[in-house]
Amino acid sequence: MSHQFGSWCGSAEHGVNRRGFLGAAAFAGAGALAADMTVLSVLKEPVLAEEIKRQEKRVLLLWLAGGASQLETWDPKPGRPTGGPFRAIDTNVPGIRISELMPRLAQRQHHTAIVRSLNTKNADHGGGTELMETGRPREPGLVYPDLGAIVARELGRADSPVPDYVSMYTSTEGRHKGGPGFLGARYAPMFLDKGLAPENIRRLESISDLDHAARLELRSALAARFAQSRETSAIGSHNSAYGRVRGLMSSEKLFDISQEPAAMREKYGPTVFGEQVLVARRLIEAGVPFVKVARAWWDSHGQNFETHLELVSELDQVMSTLLDDLADRGLLEKTLVITLGEFGRTPQINPSLGRDHFAAAWSASLSGCGIKGGVVYGKTDDDGNKVIDGEVGAEALFATIFTALGINHQKNYFVGARPIPLTNPGTKPIPEVLA
Amino acid sequence: MRFARCVFPIAILAASLPMAAGRLQAFDDLPDAARPVEEVVDQFVDAALAAAKVTAAPAADDANFIRRATLDLAGRIPTTSEVQSYLQSSEADKKVRLIDRLLAAPDFVFHQRNEVDVMLMAGKGNGEWRDWLFAALEENRPWPELFREIMLPREESPAGKAAATFLKSRAANVDDMTNDTSRLFLGVSINCAKCHDHPLVPDWTQDHYFGMASFFNRTYLTKKNFLAEREDGNLKFRTTAGEEKQARLVFLTIGEIAESSLAQKSEAERQAAEEKQKADNDRETPPEPATFSRRAQLVDIALRPDASAFFPRAFVNRLWARLFGQGLVMPLDQMHSENKPSHPELLAWLARDAQAHNYDLKRLVRGLALSRAYGRTSRWEQPADRPSERLFAVAAVRPLTPMQFSLSLAIATANPVELSARLENGAEWASRRRDLENQAAGFAREIEIPGDHFQIGVGEALIFCNSGQFDGEYLRDSADRLVGVLKGIGDRNALIQTAFRSVLGREAQPEEMESVARYLAARDDRPVAAIQQFVWALVTDSEFRFNY
Repeated sequence: MSHQFGSWCGSAEHGVNRRGFLGAAAFAGAGALAADMTVLSVLKEPVLAEEIKRQEKRVLLLWLAGGASQLETWDPKPGRPTGGPFRAIDTNVPGIRISELMPRLAQRQHHTAIVRSLNTKNADHGGGTELMETGRPREPGLVYPDLGAIVARELGRADSPVPDYVSMYTSTEGRHKGGPGFLGARYAPMFLDKGLAPENIRRLESISDLDHAARLELRSALAARFAQSRETSAIGSHNSAYGRVRGLMSSEKLFDISQEPAAMREKYGPTVFGEQVLVARRLIEAGVPFVKVARAWWDSHGQNFETHLELVSELDQVMSTLLDDLADRGLLEKTLVITLGEFGRTPQINPSLGRDHFAAAWSASLSGCGIKGGVVYGKTDDDGNKVIDGEVGAEALFATIFTALGINHQKNYFVGARPIPLTNPGTKPIPEVLA
Repeated sequence: MRFARCVFPIAILAASLPMAAGRLQAFDDLPDAARPVEEVVDQFVDAALAAAKVTAAPAADDANFIRRATLDLAGRIPTTSEVQSYLQSSEADKKVRLIDRLLAAPDFVFHQRNEVDVMLMAGKGNGEWRDWLFAALEENRPWPELFREIMLPREESPAGKAAATFLKSRAANVDDMTNDTSRLFLGVSINCAKCHDHPLVPDWTQDHYFGMASFFNRTYLTKKNFLAEREDGNLKFRTTAGEEKQARLVFLTIGEIAESSLAQKSEAERQAAEEKQKADNDRETPPEPATFSRRAQLVDIALRPDASAFFPRAFVNRLWARLFGQGLVMPLDQMHSENKPSHPELLAWLARDAQAHNYDLKRLVRGLALSRAYGRTSRWEQPADRPSERLFAVAAVRPLTPMQFSLSLAIATANPVELSARLENGAEWASRRRDLENQAAGFAREIEIPGDHFQIGVGEALIFCNSGQFDGEYLRDSADRLVGVLKGIGDRNALIQTAFRSVLGREAQPEEMESVARYLAARDDRPVAAIQQFVWALVTDSEFRFNY
């Protein structure tokens, strides 16, 4: 099912992506299009230019694995019995105060919208992760794609030499393979398992580049015979996986931070998380639509304050550097930076000086593309025990994310004949945080 | 494995819970129990095809069939010599002989063990667990007995300790124990009923979920990491209306189970139970089973002989799914009244047949494999669209499991003559197979376990394209490997055919011969590299990757 879109536009170098092709074909007559049901929504898109603009948008998800405490980050309650030892500080947006552990971000608050009123009800790692990765509760019999897979699908380019979805993490607990679900392995993440570079991305010395490419072609010819009269999506995915190898191999240098000046590397800091976020910026710059960097392990059932002192300070340095860096390169208006985890932490401090899982009133942040910075949405009570204004769940957060990226959150995917909207009907994005 | 336990008369309090659409469908007029399995399978599959006005695809050719049967029964591709023998045989009943040979071979036990291992432990079990499974399957131990040993293990013995792996790896979370036991042994994933009554399925309310969980809520791990069970304790839950309820024992749709409880016993018995519970947690040796073991009750109820019970149907359904690519009930863990089987009478008949023959696995596999439904080609060449998989009109294309794939790679790229020689000797083959599996385990871990909507990601392709380990393992130029053998074949066509036979189990077609010959000829200056690249293309071909 390959589209020879090069021939439609006249020249292969023109680089019109698949979405653009489909947009143009809408005028030319959609007869040639394959049974890709998402064409239905593309036909509604007004102009080709609009499509191309949307293609330039990217997402950088800073995943706080284990569940970061909202009281030590975006929604402090100093002086309260639940507040803990840290104070709140003013930011460069009058009226907004965040934890004193984030002094640098406080000076960049104008980029960021905080949502303080998440009530997502699921406070266990497995269920909470699944919910906050996909934006909806699990449905038996249906494997829903995660945010990365959806963004890769919506914002990626079929002919792209860079991966569409890259996922990095710092330690075992942060690793959750996530997945493309019913969208298929085409949208599975390139998962950085060891260190900063993807495995097996470099050609072995024992084979020439010519032969490496030629044997792939021989393979393809043999496989095509087999697939005749047996078309299944699993076989299709096998072939498309091999089809992408050469392109991915050529993106190897993106993962090499020694290409960055020392000064830049110092700003992100010497930690693995810092280096990974720098790699993420390089990937974003090269056009990778979705990069996830997971930082583990925020699950401070004991010693909450030491843990957060360390992790929040790191987040503060890395994220503020990132925001500056993206802004300097003119990328911030095209990149949505998200901080999110599977849930927050209890306002009650337990006997181990820890905070436990808590999904009834917690925070996430959104910065950059499509977002109105310098805004707080939602309120929790004085002790942070419950939401008293603007309660939202995972779906509304996801609807907001999609809208910020110019993706219609009510658009349908199809599994067989069953339409499945990106968010359930009736879900509304949060207008107050949207630009 | 005998131990003293209280056998509870199973009193079912049917009145207290809505039972409307609950029971799985039972039938009065099923075909006679003495009919051969394969005949009954074909009767019902053909009937459904006729009703849908669909013409089935023709039978797969011999090379296709022996590949499929060997993969499904032995967990590996056939060797060149096995294929040649089968193709050249003119015996009228060669298919039956093939199936019987495969069932009797040591490979069968290895493969069944691997499948059950993945099903129950998703590859996370240890060597002792796998060995225990092997021993059980080698003596064709019936599934209900395995279930009993897994649910009520006695950890004093090594076998019991191994069997305890299933529960112990899930004991930290009552929901994991409940849902995994329920879905893997009973075909019911009841998780969604935890937070609210199921919106669509009347069978599954919160009462049902917590009722099932109540069989497990007293189970825990002691300080010394032994499995133990308390004598009392009940789950409480909150309904969506905010009402707090105490859970009662409920076994799926059968209804509430009456149990003797501690409260009904004498003061002395209660005292003894309390002391036991306290002592259990600190014991250096495995605790005794609970006197009022809820898990024991679960086993007894689940194994009641009953035509419409979940246990035999789940057993049959999963086995069917393994051989045909999808179950008679799909998804596999959604066996409830709103989700009808594709062939309801067939499922009922097979379940009854399994129970009547004490869950004889080989017998059931034999019957399914001899059916015409199993033997169809996977090519659909009629003008109409490929029909729904539920009709079994055409064979499914199924990805190889990690172990099948890994083993088959090793076999495909081995020296074919050496391989055949080994296979002649049964005992030697068993030990060779064991070695192969140990070696294959490493690579197998890199491959994803097939599931619904299975797709292959680019990570796998990158391993095959750029991993030195892969090259060194399978493509090396040495006497014990295919590449080494091919190197010594002067005639190009013979070289190509040898490779096709070894890797894909068939003759190369003329166009394929041409393409490959051209490829090799263009690399006359580097003949070994060319051969390695050719073999590479064969093992990365989709034809190798799937069971078709």
